Amino acid sequence: MAPAPLLDPTLTHMCAAVLAIIFIGGAWHKLRDREAFAMAVEQYRLVPESWAGALAWGLPLWELAAGGLLLATATREWGALLALALLMAVTAAVTVNLLRGRSHIDCGCGGPEGGQHLSWGLVARNLLLGVMALASVAMETTRQLVWLDGLTVAAGTLGLYGLYAAANQLMTNHPRLMNLRS
Amino acid sequence: MTEALVVSNAVLWVLVLALLVVVFALARQVGILYERVAPMGALILDSGPKVGDAAPRFDLPALDGRMLSVGAAGERSQLLFFLSPTCPVCKKLLPILKSIAGAESAWLRLAFASDGETEEHQSFYRRAGLSAFPYVLSAELGMAFRVGKLPYAVLIDESGRVRAKGLVNSREQLESLFTAKDLNVASVQDYLESRAGQS
Repeated sequence: MAPAPLLDPTLTHMCAAVLAIIFIGGAWHKLRDREAFAMAVEQYRLVPESWAGALAWGLPLWELAAGGLLLATATREWGALLALALLMAVTAAVTVNLLRGRSHIDCGCGGPEGGQHLSWGLVARNLLLGVMALASVAMETTRQLVWLDGLTVAAGTLGLYGLYAAANQLMTNHPRLMNLRS
Repeated sequence: MTEALVVSNAVLWVLVLALLVVVFALARQVGILYERVAPMGALILDSGPKVGDAAPRFDLPALDGRMLSVGAAGERSQLLFFLSPTCPVCKKLLPILKSIAGAESAWLRLAFASDGETEEHQSFYRRAGLSAFPYVLSAELGMAFRVGKLPYAVLIDESGRVRAKGLVNSREQLESLFTAKDLNVASVQDYLESRAGQS
């Protein structure tokens, strides 16, 4: 890989772990309600409708693979690669629909409640996730890891995931607030 | 010293995670609130002809030269929309009104009403692309319906009776007028009160 900035190992572990949680969680939500996800895929109006069913299987499995591979240090690079490719593909789909003015459609992100609409916030969120995928495979500084680093990684991962969930919730709220205002 | 830093670090992590849980819970609650605060129906300002009463009769010349009958019995219901070229909410509702008029044309005629300088309204009438609908200028009409605030809408049924009316600021409130007609209640406030009375 290209020479990347040196990061402390706790940071790379944190990024990989939180991405794995996000991807596996997202895949689980989509697979659990594949019909809703297929409908969301159709709404993007990028592929023929007959593909939606196949994509409703393919995308979550891709997501699951990315998350699973990110978990182990040995396969992390493959996981990060899959994650980056997936993020680029879905972000492109979101951007195309935003430019078409179709921001009212369900993003199909498969949160616990769903109902998140497309927004530029979503694009920014995916870009940040992409940066984290790169960071997870960045060069690490070498130092002796102690037990406290375990706490940092575990708590930091939970913290990042909390931020991600809160940001998603706020993005879901925003169009509802706009509805109330008008 | 190191031990103190370790303890403080651990305590801080616990606090950060607890705060994040709180932030997320707050965001969830705000989201649920937004969902539950249903848009209220059109607000009735309690004056003018009551819902169920016959609407005052008017025959008025529209801007395009046609005559508009208000409150006359006919084949279709009439939605009178009181507006002003200077009211931003009125302009926001125009495309919605046009689409409603198109979709409901089987039973509904749309007419616009205002008062003031004819030239100003003529140019507004052209710019807003309202030529498909009658547009009348009459201070008496507004007074007869006691229109105080804009945009105001009155729904008059086929027999010339007022079926719903009120201040409308959104598509939901406009649609509430039709719902009120369908449910045969005067307003959403009335409907909620009658439900509260039953339970």
